[in-house]
Amino acid sequence: MYIVIAGAGRLGLVLAKKLEEDKHQICLIDKNENLCNRLASELKDIMIVCGDATYPDVLKEARIEKADVCVSAASSDEDGTIICYLAKELFGVKRTVARVNDPKHIPLYKYMEVDNPVDSTSIIARIVEEEASFSDVISLLSIKKGRLSIVRVDIPEGSPVANKSLKEITLPANSVLVSILRGPDIIIPYGSTVILPGDEVIAATLIDIEKDLVKALIGKI
Amino acid sequence: MKYVVIVGCGRTGKELAFELSKTENVVVVDKDLKKLDSLGDDFNGKKVWADALDINTLDKAGIAEATAVYLLTGNDNLNLVVGKVARRKYQVKKVILQVGDTIKKKIFSEEGLTIVNRTYLIVEVLKKCIS
Repeated sequence: MYIVIAGAGRLGLVLAKKLEEDKHQICLIDKNENLCNRLASELKDIMIVCGDATYPDVLKEARIEKADVCVSAASSDEDGTIICYLAKELFGVKRTVARVNDPKHIPLYKYMEVDNPVDSTSIIARIVEEEASFSDVISLLSIKKGRLSIVRVDIPEGSPVANKSLKEITLPANSVLVSILRGPDIIIPYGSTVILPGDEVIAATLIDIEKDLVKALIGKI
Repeated sequence: MKYVVIVGCGRTGKELAFELSKTENVVVVDKDLKKLDSLGDDFNGKKVWADALDINTLDKAGIAEATAVYLLTGNDNLNLVVGKVARRKYQVKKVILQVGDTIKKKIFSEEGLTIVNRTYLIVEVLKKCIS
């Protein structure tokens, strides 16, 4: 795929390198001339365009009309929305993705018809919150912009589900136990499987009810 | 009386707010408190100290009821985005915005959205001076 990334800050740069490793063709746009010169000599396989990506002639120079995806990694939301808007309306790019810097600005992306606004602040806040608040819960994986999450929960003594079979316990809707790790064993649970204290339970859950699930499994938050 | 929202209280915004507030209901939005304060005590309109890119701010300024919205911050892209949102979400009849760049003026012009460009205006005036 041909992907145009606007903004060669930390995010834009990491993304460009990663996508390039995955054999995509990348063009990186940034308005900082010094940075562009340095990147042009360092990154041989990435096309660098120096200019303000909110201007159509700069996007044209990046051959955006050929792009499959336009990504805005701009650090201001007004710029990000304009870049994606131009890519779509003026150059017919099918898919636009933008980093949202301030979660309060998400509606703007919606009204400017950006396909995928990625709210980095909220995603990181959620992860940090998880890490900080529940020591018995570890988030293993998050899918679909963090909406679905796979978690590992250590079952303590006195947990409301300890010494009960799956049949006997009620978990919140939209969550499911995937497996139980007990010492060296990996158990794929059935209705008759009994959960023991000390078990590590792997569960899949929608992010909104993760707290409910944890509460059901360990009895507190 | 008309109800007018002005976003951006720089030189132009401030001057316009004063002029319009003589005859209309005026709300001025700026994220810089100092700029709002510069309107002084004589200003009889409402001031909203907040970020115009936040939809809550636009709601607080009563943009849905506005007869007209002026976007006069020094940031072209902000003016354009908020201008578009004012038309699309709030169906404001008259949206007037300032853009420092002539290319963007052409691209973003649409019905109900008037884009004013300083350079273009000055050139027109200068041309008239010798006609």
